[in-house]
Amino acid sequence: MTTRLSEDDIYRTSTQYRLWSYSPAQLAAQRKKTHELAIARARQNASKDGEQNGASDLEYLTEEEELQLVQRYCGNIRSVADHLKWPMNVKTTAVQYLKRFYLSNSCMTYPPKEIYKTALFLASKTEAIHITVPKFAASISADADAILAPEYKVMQALRFTLDVRQPFRGLKGALMELMNMAEGLMGTLSNTEQKTGKEVQAAMLALKLPPPGSKTPWKAPSGTLTPTHLNDRIRAAYDAARHLLDAPASLTDAYFLYTPSQILLAALHLSDEPLTSFYLDTKLPTTSPHRSKILSTIQSGAEMLASYNPKGMSKEERDALEKKLDRCRDPTTKDLIKSHAAMKRNGVEEGKLDEEKSKRRKLEREKSSKEMDDLFGPSLAGGKANGNG
Amino acid sequence: MSRLAQQKSSPVARRDGGAVRPPGDSLLTPQDGELPTRQMDRMSLSYSTHTDSPATEVCPVCKSTKYMNPNLKFLVNPVCYHKMCESCVDRLFSHGPAPCPIKGCSETLRKNRFRKQTFEDIKVEREVDIRKKVAQVFNRREEEFASLREYNDYLNDVEDITFNLINNIDIEETQRRFKNHEDKWKENIVENASLAQQEQMLYAEQQKAEREQAKRRREEARREEMEERKEAEATRRDMLRRLENGQDPEEVKKERAAVQLKKRQNRQDAANRQSQLKAADATNGSSSFVIKGLKNKKAKLEPEAPVDPFGGLTFEHSYFSLQDDYVWEGLREAKRDPLIAAGGYDIASFTGRALCEAFSGLGVMVADEAVERERLNEPETLSTTKAEIAAKDVKMEDPF
Repeated sequence: MTTRLSEDDIYRTSTQYRLWSYSPAQLAAQRKKTHELAIARARQNASKDGEQNGASDLEYLTEEEELQLVQRYCGNIRSVADHLKWPMNVKTTAVQYLKRFYLSNSCMTYPPKEIYKTALFLASKTEAIHITVPKFAASISADADAILAPEYKVMQALRFTLDVRQPFRGLKGALMELMNMAEGLMGTLSNTEQKTGKEVQAAMLALKLPPPGSKTPWKAPSGTLTPTHLNDRIRAAYDAARHLLDAPASLTDAYFLYTPSQILLAALHLSDEPLTSFYLDTKLPTTSPHRSKILSTIQSGAEMLASYNPKGMSKEERDALEKKLDRCRDPTTKDLIKSHAAMKRNGVEEGKLDEEKSKRRKLEREKSSKEMDDLFGPSLAGGKANGNG
Repeated sequence: MSRLAQQKSSPVARRDGGAVRPPGDSLLTPQDGELPTRQMDRMSLSYSTHTDSPATEVCPVCKSTKYMNPNLKFLVNPVCYHKMCESCVDRLFSHGPAPCPIKGCSETLRKNRFRKQTFEDIKVEREVDIRKKVAQVFNRREEEFASLREYNDYLNDVEDITFNLINNIDIEETQRRFKNHEDKWKENIVENASLAQQEQMLYAEQQKAEREQAKRRREEARREEMEERKEAEATRRDMLRRLENGQDPEEVKKERAAVQLKKRQNRQDAANRQSQLKAADATNGSSSFVIKGLKNKKAKLEPEAPVDPFGGLTFEHSYFSLQDDYVWEGLREAKRDPLIAAGGYDIASFTGRALCEAFSGLGVMVADEAVERERLNEPETLSTTKAEIAAKDVKMEDPF
């Protein structure tokens, strides 16, 4: 019994697909639910606090405002990463972490100001940029504790899935293939119409010029096209697509709605439409049942990337929002550092646990550490779970 | 000097194993350095009165000792394993079967069953006898069993019986089982015994053939060496003779080299022919070549399947086929760079991965599939919402 796995099946095994892929409607519903839950909690807190301020709905952030704020801090992450000269993949991962985090948490519970550095630090670890917390904290002039305190929280919200599938390497793959095609070295796959390498090259040379409005900076030279010109065209399209993948793709919701492969083809589509269509024609036979579906998905992805507005909110707008947030934020998560420290100790400060429980834990810990010092370690039966709290 | 004399005069004092003890030195007197418990053990054994200790080589029947009679030989009868000297056996049993002279032993013994003791410890002697007897009857072979487990069970049963016989536990029941088995499987036992004998003969033959071959090889090598030496001597003499006759030394030297070359070639050709012949022999199966340690059993019926790390999964590319070479200079440079190649980095693994990622998920319609998943997989979404709720819960933070 051999099961055959195609590229699509490989993607289906990823956590990005299993946990972090939504339809647009689902995504909106999820954000709405989170927002409502946060407001409900805030109201509850307000009523518990006392009746001195009968907080009205007006004071809470709206869903839109929350999104804007998150977006703003995604931009922050990117600029900090640029400042540290970290590569593109770290930026993308960190931005996705922040976006994923605010799918299940509200800005009012955890202000992005406190979270985004942690997201960046986590991303630096997953993307193998090795830096210590003190170093990192110093380079962005932040407090090391403030970076570490929400880390567990963020991990939890990410559901402990740290893999972010990115389109950058895939784009290189496409570049490789296109270049070989331009050199006339590569025929088409057997499942499309068979062509030799030379035929493919000729077809490429006959391609229409990129329509006005394309992102590629390439301009057709005067005279006849040669393979060298084709090469330049491909390279220009690649560079343009790479820029599209860097900012618009990671700052929009593209990662929730599309697969990396679709995103990269959408970016190529935006930068050089005729070239991308030609490339896709060599991959998808006209008889393929999925062809129209895939093409329309790429088209809609391209629209999404094109609709990205690089102009975020201004500083004043942001300050206004922050002020508003300060007024309505959840007081229980106000001091993350302190609660983190308390959790690491016996949790007694915040009154989260009663005295007796913390004492019992302390005793247990002492006992186990004492047993560890024994010659043969602690007894096996002794370690039975007294879990859940 | 004085010490030596003392040793000679009184062997009693010697404590090492081979010492001779005087007749009076009975078992029951504690020997120095020996624990009293050991003594007790010996006493509790039924045949403790004629111990195997070389220090007390005294015939329990006639009380003659090795000290008095250096030719004294002890014999045992594998019925009761009581030890007595040769002369006692002659005296008591030469007129046919007679009861054992040892007090408290009622076995009737025959003279022809008496034999020399192989092991010093009479217990070992007895155990070996019993094991031999049992092995003769329980001689089933592993290939007669369906599985190794069953064979092991059988061996366990056999060992149980043996143990019982040796230690006199449930002796009647065990004897009955033993007899039953013997009667029931008479033919099988005989067959297996003859098989074992054949195997043994085969093995002996193989050994003999091996030895003979080794001998032949040695002789061959010796002869060759001799011939070579003789030849070398002859050519040398020939050369000297020519030089004596006043030939040009250079020419002689050249001639000699040519002759030697020719000879060497001849020898090589002969060796080649020989080896070809041998190979042909081997293919015909008539070779005298013997391989050591071959099992004369059938080969394993089914060869083990090769390890499949993906457990039956295969990967297929539906959107691309990997090319041998890519003109993109990024890759070209990587290929040229000795730093990259020295680390064992395989360019093909990068190109494969990049292309796989380029199309991985191209046909995955996230929106449709997410809706479908939600519809089909209610429990999963339920659990994810649960996880979200839990993520808000303070209790989740609890590391305990």
